[in-house]
Amino acid sequence: MDAMGDPTRRAILEQLLARPQAVGELAREFPISRPAISQHLRVLKNARLVVDRAQGTRRVYQVNPEGIEALRSYFDRFWTDALAAFKAAADKEER
Amino acid sequence: MTTVEQGRVTPVSKAISVKTNVERAFEVFTNGFDTWWPRAHHIGTSPMKRAVIEGKTGGRCYSEQIDGTDCPWGSVLVWEPPSRVVIAWQITPQWKYEPDLSKSSEVEITFTPEDGGTTRVQLEHRHFERHGEGAAAMKTGVDSPNGWGSLLELYARKAEENRGDS
Repeated sequence: MDAMGDPTRRAILEQLLARPQAVGELAREFPISRPAISQHLRVLKNARLVVDRAQGTRRVYQVNPEGIEALRSYFDRFWTDALAAFKAAADKEER
Repeated sequence: MTTVEQGRVTPVSKAISVKTNVERAFEVFTNGFDTWWPRAHHIGTSPMKRAVIEGKTGGRCYSEQIDGTDCPWGSVLVWEPPSRVVIAWQITPQWKYEPDLSKSSEVEITFTPEDGGTTRVQLEHRHFERHGEGAAAMKTGVDSPNGWGSLLELYARKAEENRGDS
């Protein structure tokens, strides 16, 4: 499954960005079954995009607060590309 | 493995070698910024016309947009041609301008001569933890959900890397 190509998973992430929620709450927002919601949550959890915790008898999901790591990994890729472009320009200047 | 330890986030460090002297390398990086900066990378609402780094301490870093507006995104903290420049990265995780330097990360670029007339260019993007408000907002989900579009894409991409489901 491809996360970008999966609008439901993206929508679930958006819901969780708004506030932490349990599976049951999420299931009310989407026209799909609870097991299907759980399946999506499992994928998001495996990717460390969401974390869960027990709250009474419920399991509450929220976006991983270490999302800043995503920011870092973005810049790691970004600077690789940007510096390659810079190198191309700098190398050319010499010629 | 986490990159967040004791409130600090590991800097992103990169190094490359370019086939020119330090003066020229510094010049291309700063004054020639527009010649190499990835065109899609700006925070304006219209396409970018020109990317500018003003060459002085306190100089502005901004993009000129085709709609005539200027979009600031940083400022020059240290200007030491031809060996070092430090730029405040004043962009929030919501990809908006951040006027508060204490909430901005910074990028240091150093230029060192190498044997054979080439130049080693080292870049360090550090203090990501200063953008922490965005991470906190993510935690509690108080801020505008619409602002998270780009970061969601990052998330989605990261998720995509981990397809071990089903």
